[in-house]
Amino acid sequence: MSVDEKKTIPQQEIDREVEEAISTETAGLDPEKATEIREKIRKRVREEMEREMRLRTAAERRDEERRRREERRKEKHHEEGEMFQRFNRNFRFQHMVMFTSVILLIITGMPIKFPNFILSRLVINLWGGINNSTLVHRIGAGMLIYFMVHHLFYTILSRDGRRDFLLLIPMPKDLKDAVQNVRFFLGKEGEKPKFGRFSYIEKFDYWAVYWGCIIMIGSGALLWGESIALKYMPKFVLDIAHEAHSDEAMLATLAIVIWHFYNVHFNPERFPGTLMWWHGQISEHEIKEEHPLEYDEIMAKRKQQAAAEGTN
Amino acid sequence: MSTAVPSVAAPCIHTRLHRLATNLGEKCGFKSLFAVIAAAILGIGLLSFPPPAEARISLEKCTLCHGKSEFRKVLVDGKIRDIFVTADSLKGSVHEKKTCVDCHFDVSEIPHRVRPRRVTCTHCHYKGNAEGAPQWDGYLAYFDSVHGKAIAQGNVKAPMCQDCHGSHAIVKTKNDKSAVAQQHVAETCGRCHIEIYAKYRTSIHGVAVSKGIKEAPSCTGCHGEHTIYGPKDPKSTVYATHVADQCSKCHASVSIMSKFGIETEQVHTYKESFHGVANQFGSRTVANCSSCHGTHDIRPAADPLSSVNPQNVPKTCGKCHPGANPNFAVGKMHIDAKKKEAGIVYYVASFFKYLTIGTMLALIAHIALDMYGRSKRLRGGK
Repeated sequence: MSVDEKKTIPQQEIDREVEEAISTETAGLDPEKATEIREKIRKRVREEMEREMRLRTAAERRDEERRRREERRKEKHHEEGEMFQRFNRNFRFQHMVMFTSVILLIITGMPIKFPNFILSRLVINLWGGINNSTLVHRIGAGMLIYFMVHHLFYTILSRDGRRDFLLLIPMPKDLKDAVQNVRFFLGKEGEKPKFGRFSYIEKFDYWAVYWGCIIMIGSGALLWGESIALKYMPKFVLDIAHEAHSDEAMLATLAIVIWHFYNVHFNPERFPGTLMWWHGQISEHEIKEEHPLEYDEIMAKRKQQAAAEGTN
Repeated sequence: MSTAVPSVAAPCIHTRLHRLATNLGEKCGFKSLFAVIAAAILGIGLLSFPPPAEARISLEKCTLCHGKSEFRKVLVDGKIRDIFVTADSLKGSVHEKKTCVDCHFDVSEIPHRVRPRRVTCTHCHYKGNAEGAPQWDGYLAYFDSVHGKAIAQGNVKAPMCQDCHGSHAIVKTKNDKSAVAQQHVAETCGRCHIEIYAKYRTSIHGVAVSKGIKEAPSCTGCHGEHTIYGPKDPKSTVYATHVADQCSKCHASVSIMSKFGIETEQVHTYKESFHGVANQFGSRTVANCSSCHGTHDIRPAADPLSSVNPQNVPKTCGKCHPGANPNFAVGKMHIDAKKKEAGIVYYVASFFKYLTIGTMLALIAHIALDMYGRSKRLRGGK
């Protein structure tokens, strides 16, 4: 019996079937007991049906809402086409932890690097003094360390993580793409290079984060536990850590605020910003423009799946 | 008229009467009126009592007893108070032209039966005074200082004006013989703060002062003069967050430090360090100059007794960093990453500087080319 047929059966039919089953099972019992059992079974069946109805209604309601939202989006932005899931929930969570910690670290760290800057005293007072500011700085540091550990486990244990990591390894094609892209900027090349899931720009950002995290967390740990560190290593090592921490912070801040913000938020195609970090979705138009090779792979995979289903 | 009046007595009497007129007169009219009255009294005085005899008798009356070298008083606690004063005591001082009762004005008969009250310097040294005495409101700052408040609370040991400036033999501060001149102020303060004076005398600052070096700081160089507050008072120049500023007044000055072969880099390297930044933002527990170098007993780093001698660094740093060991002394203190003397730290700083510049130039160039390409295609499209 299919689902559709099940839905169309009227209540009467169900009641009749239940009655027949009850009659069969209670044939040898006393009339009083038979009546008692019949009422109990009828009540139970009604409860089960109501529960199933509720579950189905909620599920249908969610699907209906999603379908309606998708239709509304298509009406407003018909040129975008279909939406693809570019980043999964785990990855987006990592990114949010990372950027929250980095923002805290920059806000609380820059007044220490530039104490005479006009806003530094204001920022320090915002946290209620230098002691609170350093506390927040260490909270941010803790979050960054957590992010790095989480990401390593994600890369090792998750299928998406392993796939992305392999795709992020620099290749000779990246150098070729970079040269072609510059020529395209200058108008010497008529066509933009075809990028896969990750272009050389994104690969640079990814490995820059590794470089930055290793230096900042390494030197920061020494400075955090300065008294303990000085038990095992001479003072000039701490001086090196202090210098590296300060200078790498400057480099990372500039790279993020200028380079990453431009590529992701401020370039004319996305201005004034994208919400991909929140919902992780990319439109058909954008994926065709920015990641055409990945789009081709997805289409090929779909075709393959459709062919496989056809065979079954 | 002028030739008949002796020059010694007349100015004194005239000055006192004029001061009285100034005190009482609040308007020009009143001032003129009192001036006339003063002149009249002066005339009467001349006729009734011979001023020369009066002045001479007055001075002789004081020195009749006080002029004896063995004249002294045994106090109730057994100490002996020498009250020997002669006509030469005021000679050479800023009060040379004054008489005894100009300051000891509560003495009305001789011999006086009770000891006169301590001299109140503000009797003349108030702002706007007609005497020509220094018109300075330092005494107002003094009342708010730790000394002034101790006086107000009845502390008999707290110093008043004459305890520092002297009593009869007061000379100008610029005079090297003055009790509050740079060379002598430590001895003056040390009469009460004797333990601190003992430390200071053998410190590098104390030794420099005794050699006659003008730039070296004495007590007043750091703590102030009349506006001295306790070191835990936020208004003090030696409060935890003010010490660095106070020390840097000399140690940041290349013109001063170059005379003695001392570097000035300590000042800006401290201010750029975490210690300096936290101190600047109000932290009272973070290290300042005196936390490491000491307060009154500052010595050169090469001195084995110095708190910043390499052998003593673990103990000095251990006040805040428990468990400090000789590792704290391996490497230059007050390191300046911009100078080659910093060693490996200089090369690390250079590496990051050029890495940052190179990376950001490349990235910004990429962005600029991207924008250029977009605008070009946009214009081409039109």
